[in-house]
Amino acid sequence: MLAMLLLAALFLPLYPLSAVHNALFMRLNGLPRVLLLLIWPQIGVSLLYYAPKLIPAFTIPNEMVIWATASAALYALRLLTVRDLGLWAAMLASSALALGWGLAANGSSEQTLHLFVFGFSVPVALLVLLANQLTQRFGAAYAGLNGGLAISHPRLSGMLVLCMLAATATPMFPGFFSMLKLLQILDWGFGLALLAIWLAWSWAGALMLQGFVFGTPSMSKCGDLRTAGSLAYVLVLLGLSIAGLILMGGSL
Amino acid sequence: MKLTLGTQLKIRTMVHMAGEPIPNFWPMRTFIHHNPLFGLEHLNFADAVAEGQRLFHARGYLPRSDYQVYLAEGRIAPAHLSAQLHRLLADEAPVGDLDLHRLLLDLLTGTSVPLGAQLHMADGADLHAALAGTALPPRTVDATELAAHVTATVMHGQPLYAAVDSLYGSEIGATLDELVIKSCLDFLDEGQSSWQMPGRENGLFAAWSAVARHNLRLFIRGLHIKNILEQDDSPEGVISYVMHELGVPEDEWTAYFTSELTRLHGWSGFIRWRAGAKHYYWGKRYRADLVDFLAIRLVLGLALLREHVQHRRLPASVAALEGFINNHPEQAYLRLELYSGSVLPALAHRVEDAVDSGKPTRLARFLPEYIAQKRSHEAQSLAAGLRELAERAGCAAALARLDVTGLARLCALLTRVERVEGQLWLNAHEASFMQPLLAGIDLSPTLVREKRPFAQFLFCIDVRSERIRRQLERVGDYQTYGIAGFFGVPASFVGLDKGSEIHLAPVVVMPKNLVLELPIARQANDEAFVSVLEKVFHDLKASVLSPFITVEAIGLLFGLDMFGKSLAPLAYNQWRQRLLPLAQSSRLLLDKLSREQADSIIRSLQRVLIVRAIGHEHGVAREDVTDEMVRELRETALGHRQGSTAFARHLQLDADAEARLIERLQRVYRINQGYAQIQLEQLGRIGYTLDEQVGFASMALRSIGMTSGFSRFVVLTGHGSTSENNPYESALDCGACGGNPGLVSARVLAQIVNRTAVRERLRAKGIDIGDDVWFVPAFHNTTTDELSLHDLELLPPAHLVYVERLTNGLAAASRLCAAERLATLEYPSSKSNPSADSDPASAYRLARRNAMDWSQVRPEWGLSGNAAFVIGRRQVTEGLDMRGRVFLNSYDYLCDRKGRLLENILTGPLVVGQWISMEHYFSAVDNEHYGSGSKVYHNVAGRFGVMTGNLSDLRTGLPSQTVLKDGRPYHEPLRLLTVIEAPFEHARRAIYGIVKVRNLVHNGWIRMVVADPVTGLLHLFEDGDWQLYNRGAAGSAVTTKEISA
Repeated sequence: MLAMLLLAALFLPLYPLSAVHNALFMRLNGLPRVLLLLIWPQIGVSLLYYAPKLIPAFTIPNEMVIWATASAALYALRLLTVRDLGLWAAMLASSALALGWGLAANGSSEQTLHLFVFGFSVPVALLVLLANQLTQRFGAAYAGLNGGLAISHPRLSGMLVLCMLAATATPMFPGFFSMLKLLQILDWGFGLALLAIWLAWSWAGALMLQGFVFGTPSMSKCGDLRTAGSLAYVLVLLGLSIAGLILMGGSL
Repeated sequence: MKLTLGTQLKIRTMVHMAGEPIPNFWPMRTFIHHNPLFGLEHLNFADAVAEGQRLFHARGYLPRSDYQVYLAEGRIAPAHLSAQLHRLLADEAPVGDLDLHRLLLDLLTGTSVPLGAQLHMADGADLHAALAGTALPPRTVDATELAAHVTATVMHGQPLYAAVDSLYGSEIGATLDELVIKSCLDFLDEGQSSWQMPGRENGLFAAWSAVARHNLRLFIRGLHIKNILEQDDSPEGVISYVMHELGVPEDEWTAYFTSELTRLHGWSGFIRWRAGAKHYYWGKRYRADLVDFLAIRLVLGLALLREHVQHRRLPASVAALEGFINNHPEQAYLRLELYSGSVLPALAHRVEDAVDSGKPTRLARFLPEYIAQKRSHEAQSLAAGLRELAERAGCAAALARLDVTGLARLCALLTRVERVEGQLWLNAHEASFMQPLLAGIDLSPTLVREKRPFAQFLFCIDVRSERIRRQLERVGDYQTYGIAGFFGVPASFVGLDKGSEIHLAPVVVMPKNLVLELPIARQANDEAFVSVLEKVFHDLKASVLSPFITVEAIGLLFGLDMFGKSLAPLAYNQWRQRLLPLAQSSRLLLDKLSREQADSIIRSLQRVLIVRAIGHEHGVAREDVTDEMVRELRETALGHRQGSTAFARHLQLDADAEARLIERLQRVYRINQGYAQIQLEQLGRIGYTLDEQVGFASMALRSIGMTSGFSRFVVLTGHGSTSENNPYESALDCGACGGNPGLVSARVLAQIVNRTAVRERLRAKGIDIGDDVWFVPAFHNTTTDELSLHDLELLPPAHLVYVERLTNGLAAASRLCAAERLATLEYPSSKSNPSADSDPASAYRLARRNAMDWSQVRPEWGLSGNAAFVIGRRQVTEGLDMRGRVFLNSYDYLCDRKGRLLENILTGPLVVGQWISMEHYFSAVDNEHYGSGSKVYHNVAGRFGVMTGNLSDLRTGLPSQTVLKDGRPYHEPLRLLTVIEAPFEHARRAIYGIVKVRNLVHNGWIRMVVADPVTGLLHLFEDGDWQLYNRGAAGSAVTTKEISA
């Protein structure tokens, strides 16, 4: 059972096993990165729900939830100091996905957990794609080096803000309702920890946006995000919002 | 540690010297246009701009892309730009066989992004290799070189904590600024806050230190300010302690102080102005100066630094920081790269990891790789830029042939050109502006009129008067003159129901005489119900708890107000105006009072106060007391009589009650000898003697060449503006009246010149004003273009029959002016209805609506666009449409044999014009630093300034809505072109007679042209000398060099 739990903790990443996920993330680029973010945690969810078929006595002990919460908190704090957007997105994924253990331990269905993970992975994947866009234009997606995007690249900065809002679980996006669901089912101690983690995401997100969106624009001549590209982002985010509203029915 | 008096004085002197480059900042109530680089005017313009860049981190010229737009629009003639480059290259040795002129012209006009040819890590050999497509030669950078680079970058020209911030990203500077701003807001508040800093009467530093010692929030943050403040009670002592703790050598203190003070130059500028203002109520009551301000900054800065030292082990002194740089040059260099934003983006994360680890071996391993990539990146990107530039200029082959030395020389030249290109563009821009203006001026002798004009108008020299003058001259038989808007009569003015004086004169002039406005008839209780309600609302809003109740109780009323102001501003405000009491008719008290008159006034005031006092204290109505009783009370209070009063007997007051009443009259109502003496001295300031009146009137009329041929109506037109919800309202009023509306000044001169005694004296001085001539004060509202006549009740009956003709003409000119002006403003409503621009009546209506609209961030352009100052007869520029860009000061040298009047114009109006010009120039070229950014984010601070957001430096310049349009400068930033119409020697003598003006001309702050009506020649001061200006040729306007003065 322990081996199974550890294997699941590798894919639905908990510190220090999450180092594998993050190391892979740093080695990959572009689409493979996005696929890693989308698929890797889903494997973890499948493993968790496949385990009882192999080991009938399989349960998720409360200690795993404590570990998961601590792991999420650790990555949430780390977010406050990271300035590379790609790495930041990976850390946010590590922090948010760890919270899935809370759902799993409290008897949520496999489908709910898959949706939970998907609801967090997609906005983070969008952030990764935006980080690629920034890297192509400025050499790196590093907060504070090329500020003032709101003036020089309004579409790119607009998408960055929207994806950041989605990734940090603000209202209308699925993450928000997932967090509400977690608050409902966890006891008050975990609830408080969850709120602190959520606050840290928002704070870190605001710092990240401050480093990209505001400030004096650089003299770089590189162009803004194309309209079609922006539209694609908007459509995905719109889909997420609608999904969020549907999820709300189940959460509240 | 107590300092000696000598040391204290030395520190004060150092702070005083350190504050010199910081421009004064006047309170917003009377916005004074000023040159943000006023403290650097002793320098050449280009040098001052460079120094301003160093001190205020602000740009002194427009970005290249904006100049390129001017070039494309024809505002900069290519020939003028080309001429500038020829002059620059005149002494330049050739670089290979490159066509340098073509290359540089392409550099300036072909790309909007500067090339940045200065090499840092790479050198000529690297660039040569990059251009040739070969590998960069191997090279190592030694530790000493790195340490020197870091030391030169961070250790000079900034405070220690800023240097620490550059290397550690600690943001101590930002935190310090926040704490200092909060302290300043608490202390300097002028009635905006309900709670102010306690103990303000003890001065800034004393009050702040008393609070800071017990400030729990600062203590919780870990700032142990008490330990620092315990070292000395005086600000000088604290400054000395902190500077010794930081280890700054004493001979560097002044420069260090300057760098501290310039970080918040808005607040420093306000405190500096406030400390020097003699008649500023708040300044006298709550004293503050730059020494206090600096001491607070240093204390907080040291406390913050110590906090970081404790938690992060950062260097705590100059020596410690230098030690760190010299002992760990690799880490210092990488830290500087990371936190200064110049790190290679692709390696940023690795650099951060390396410096965070702090491991010398890791840093030593990583540094060579980083430097190699940095060199390569620098060389490759510059090579790409050079290749592109050379291809555009058709000299790619010549570039490829350059050797390492040639490339290094080319890079040096390109760097130099990019450093001075702002000045090149500016010179070309000015030459292009100058040409049509100078070509159009008319120097022919004055045409003799057959009959006098129907009316003559004296307008302020303000650029906004140019349009209305032109339209007036177009619609009727009107002659116009330009004169500084205070009409040459400096006055301190106390208006109806006002308790304080305003100065109606340019800020360089301090008025000595006081003018009082007195109501013609006044009822004791004529204050309107609405006015009382407004006061109650204000009090409810300002207190601590009442807003909660107020919103619940009467919030809906505010909602109605909001809808009215938003949806129908014109109609709603007109309706609201009807609720307010009508403006009272008044007269100005202008004549000097005799001793008897002054005594009588004081007696009268004392009697009024006694009647009020016994009403308040004993509920006695006026009809229950006699004049004799009041007189007796007054005499007793003044100590002129003893014993019981008739009033006490009448009310049957016992001796104690009577004594209490007398004591309250003396203490509370100030019926006492001492205060009567003060009142007598104050009354001595009221009015002008007949000699003074004649002197001012004579000077005013003669200075504009108006000595004969007076019309029936001579209209003295002051100007002001109307706008809603606009902290910058006074910036739109008359600068010559100290940022106040100019109507009072017009009334003052009109009242003076209409006096028979004055006219008789003027006649004796050769200014013959006919008996049928009447001076009428008027008001030009520059937001609506409305011209309104005032004091018409004083008009002689014979003039009344002409009034309708006069007002018709004024209304027509107003409408035409509005139509011309609105086209430049392009409001959304006028875009959807283009006829609103062209139809004068619609334009006029739109302008009036605009003045009432509280959401309007740009009620008018104000003085934006100003570019020239013409001193001469109206005929000189009468044929030109100057689109409201020129100050017009009437002047006839024939009336000024000695040149004294011209000197007065140069000393006052021209200097103020130059301030206005420079304020607009710098606000346009760098609105974020020299201007005040967007009005949309402004909040009023302490009732004396504005901040961006809830906490920022005081915003000192003009808002973006005043100088920018759609993100580009609406105001074309040019130095003021001054044209004096006078014989060359006559003008030159006047210019050289005033040191200030001579320096402004010689240092290039003003472009000076003398248009000689005798010879018909134009003399331009350029390149340090007077030169003949050829009106015809473009690009080679200056031809013949003249003999230096």
